[in-house]
Amino acid sequence: MTVRLADIRVTFDHGYGLAAGVNAVLSEVIQGLERLAAGGEPRTIDLRSLPLNPVERERLRALLGDGEVDVTLDLEGVSRVRETGAAGVWWIEHRDAGGELIAEMLEIARVPDILNTDPEDLGRSAGALRDRIRAAQSAATPENAP
Amino acid sequence: MTQPTIGELLLQNGVSRRAFLKYCTAMATLMALPAGMGRALAAQAAAARRLAVVYLSFQECTGCAESLLRAYSPSIENLLFNVISLDYQHTLMAAAGHQAEGALAQTMKENFGQYLVIVDGAIPAADGGVYGTSGGKSYLDTMREVSKGAAAIISLGTCAAFGGIPMAKPNPTGAVPVSDVISDKPIVNVSGCPPVPEVITGTLFQFVAMGKLPELDALGRPKTFFGNTIHDRCYRRPFYDEGKFAKTFDDEGARNGWCLYELGCKGPTTYNACATVKWNGGTSWPVESGHGCIGCSEPNFWDKGSFYAPLSSAAFGRAGNVSPRDAARLVGAAAVVGGAIGLGAAAVSRQRQTRLAGAPLDPQKKED
Repeated sequence: MTVRLADIRVTFDHGYGLAAGVNAVLSEVIQGLERLAAGGEPRTIDLRSLPLNPVERERLRALLGDGEVDVTLDLEGVSRVRETGAAGVWWIEHRDAGGELIAEMLEIARVPDILNTDPEDLGRSAGALRDRIRAAQSAATPENAP
Repeated sequence: MTQPTIGELLLQNGVSRRAFLKYCTAMATLMALPAGMGRALAAQAAAARRLAVVYLSFQECTGCAESLLRAYSPSIENLLFNVISLDYQHTLMAAAGHQAEGALAQTMKENFGQYLVIVDGAIPAADGGVYGTSGGKSYLDTMREVSKGAAAIISLGTCAAFGGIPMAKPNPTGAVPVSDVISDKPIVNVSGCPPVPEVITGTLFQFVAMGKLPELDALGRPKTFFGNTIHDRCYRRPFYDEGKFAKTFDDEGARNGWCLYELGCKGPTTYNACATVKWNGGTSWPVESGHGCIGCSEPNFWDKGSFYAPLSSAAFGRAGNVSPRDAARLVGAAAVVGGAIGLGAAAVSRQRQTRLAGAPLDPQKKED
């Protein structure tokens, strides 16, 4: 008898054991939130290093829910930073220029680090803006008029 | 002229600091560094300078180079343009013949004491090394010569790290790992057949960014990537703990994604990053595809018996299926057997290293 590939039923077992991974992550999230609320440091949980199967991942995603902020960044590939339904818990995906997922993490912070302006960029920003204003003024002088 | 730092190079190429932070955050998670290390890693990497790399191909199948070329994070082009200067690699370089050998001589001279050597493949040592030659020199001589000015050596793949398939029985060429030939340089073993692409690039990036070799396990592998067994990090592990095993590749257990231990999975005795980093940009890995781990990152994996015999079968004197009645007993025994095999392999390797460290290389005396 020939068996077609589509006839082979492949499922994920929903046994109680699979929930253990989700519970472990959520415990860490709650600890991180309590610590942050008490003035502690932000915390990052690397989702790719955890042995979660797709069902567990979806369960985790559904439990955390969706929040108010959803930011897309274009940084040599798209990054997406979403606040979950738990305030201060951010679901972050980094993709490379080819669209491949290179990092996926939960960051427990007021604002994720990737959204902060780099201190060196900030230090040069005022000077760079002055240069742009000077260049624009110079371009607008009568001798440069069309 | 002083070479620009990686940070300066990136800025020249229009890469923003935030994009570099993202890149380093991905690297930090890959290297299992503590949370928040992305920014610190970015600062260290930005201040580092590109590293001259010489890539030697010996007794190999080019699978390791193929793996490296398929790295996603960091991608090979990112690595080549921004992090390392790959000055010699037979397959990739445009130069050939005398020009290629000239490039090797030049980089060895200009970067003496500072360049990194990546070795792909075992080294045939029997009969003076005549079974492997390139450019009129034996691999054995090339290895010794190029290693003189190396800061460190990365043995890429199980063949370079542990002898691999060339050293498998009957080993007609007297193949040996790099560590049997070179004893006066630090060697990092990045094993696997082939190694996970991101483990290769991650090890290189770690060396460049941090300016030092990573912490190694008893077999000389970076603990960052080889610190856990496949079994410890396997998403099917809960089924093992519950005693749920696939008995054949098409039974109900296999379809439900149960543990592949009884189908010969070597996950309990294999240290590697497949279960977390995965393959093909995180798409999947052997166990997720329904096949047990074959233990390819461990020494002598080719000579350890069937890939489809349970690890416990040797202890119980059988290689076939296990009756349900014995399943619970086997599960308990697996951890003990697995631990014993792992420790045994480490001990054998250490003995071999110790024995060879003070003695001249004599392939006639090898076990094989």
